[in-house]
Amino acid sequence: MTEQEVIKLTNEVFVDSFEIEKSKLLPQANIFNDLGLDSLDIVDLVVALQKKFGVTIRDDERVRTIRTLGDLQQFILTIKKEIGK
Amino acid sequence: MKRVAITGLGVITPLGNSVAEFISGLEQAKNASVYIPEWGKYKGLRCLVGAPARLENEKLIPRQNRRSMGRLSIFAVQAAQQALKDANIPQRSLSCGRLGCVIGSTMGSAESIAEAFETLIPNNDLSLLTSTKFFQCVSHTAALNVGQFLGITGTVMATNAACASGLQAIGAGYDLIRTAQQDIMLCGGAEGLHPTVVGSFDVLFATSTGYNQTPKETPRPFDAKRDGLVCGEGSGIVVLEDYDLAKKRKAKIYAEIIGFNSFGNGAHVSESNREAIASCINETLKRAKLIPREIDYINAHATATIQGDQEEASALRQIFGDQVPVSSLKGNIGHTLGASGAIELIASLIMMEKNLIYPTLNLKEPDKACQGINHVMQPLSKKINILLKNCFAFGGINASLVCKRED
Repeated sequence: MTEQEVIKLTNEVFVDSFEIEKSKLLPQANIFNDLGLDSLDIVDLVVALQKKFGVTIRDDERVRTIRTLGDLQQFILTIKKEIGK
Repeated sequence: MKRVAITGLGVITPLGNSVAEFISGLEQAKNASVYIPEWGKYKGLRCLVGAPARLENEKLIPRQNRRSMGRLSIFAVQAAQQALKDANIPQRSLSCGRLGCVIGSTMGSAESIAEAFETLIPNNDLSLLTSTKFFQCVSHTAALNVGQFLGITGTVMATNAACASGLQAIGAGYDLIRTAQQDIMLCGGAEGLHPTVVGSFDVLFATSTGYNQTPKETPRPFDAKRDGLVCGEGSGIVVLEDYDLAKKRKAKIYAEIIGFNSFGNGAHVSESNREAIASCINETLKRAKLIPREIDYINAHATATIQGDQEEASALRQIFGDQVPVSSLKGNIGHTLGASGAIELIASLIMMEKNLIYPTLNLKEPDKACQGINHVMQPLSKKINILLKNCFAFGGINASLVCKRED
């Protein structure tokens, strides 16, 4: 999966699950402060990403360090690469 | 004890999403029952008729409030907004600690509960459940969502007594104001239509199954050709208020609540029982310090089940004879279950205001077992000073409420 594909699919999750306008989906956007997600949304974000990418990330400690949309996209890319190995 | 006034009304119903639209539908003798072919995929479900409400404008509720709402909570929030506006309750009252809400439903959102199990069961995988599904599924989902959305900091409670939930909620709010624990209460019920709900009645042979191809002819409360209930959905919310405070702020008072009671039958979980119904009504009259002939109109529970209607008719005959006009609105909107007590009370309050009783739709020939009471079969002009609303629920839980016209 290319970086562009990961970005596209990740952004789809934010639009479909959290009703966020595409124009706000910038790599530097803070998931909490800029995109307005809260603790409950993070649970749902993980569920949606697991479905979208066919990955298991719920108990991955690295999820806790994610702050921006760019962080998240890079994390998904890393996970996909790890699975591919 | 404080006196309690009803000062605001709000509804989402199978006949429309405002009190005006709902009443217009009743006046046009509309029936909201429709054939729902998609339900045919459920093996063993014989009733394929329902009375759906329109889900609309839900995106006006911000996502972070809406995410914990199933269908019935959205209905409850929208009905509550209407009722608050109708009563002209200022925004600041919502979070002053003297305003609360009691809203009941048969269960949490049936659609959400079904989705949760459909997600969980195939792979026994909990990790696919979203965080807010729980809040859609819990039994107090309507009350919690209305409370959260409106910022209510007073009492927030749920009454869950199936088809008596809405009326019990109004009774609970009445008690909270009478005893000066709260000044203003948003009370009522909500329900969502879903095949699993219909199925719960269907397995008990309580649904209408003979009119799938002619849905407008069912349900038929008290009628000789009735064959069961039709499930509906929606929400009814009333604003209850300390009577003296309502007068002080010159609020419109639809009526004063002067009596409420809810009794169990202690006999059978699903079979209605005329003695228990009569006992519940008689206690309500006693608490309101009324004798039967002082009641001007009875809005019956009458869902069009064979057994339930005859038991209610028998109890009414025993107490009121054939003197007091009786009608059921289930022929128009089906059985909105936990919402029915509140929705039908609201229609009854409008009848009181208009001096006009809406008839029982689809009642053409009263069943022999339901005769001997004063069935309203055509619109009837009559001044209503005092009305009685009945609700009877599975579990043998009965409830009755009496309202008095504001002079």
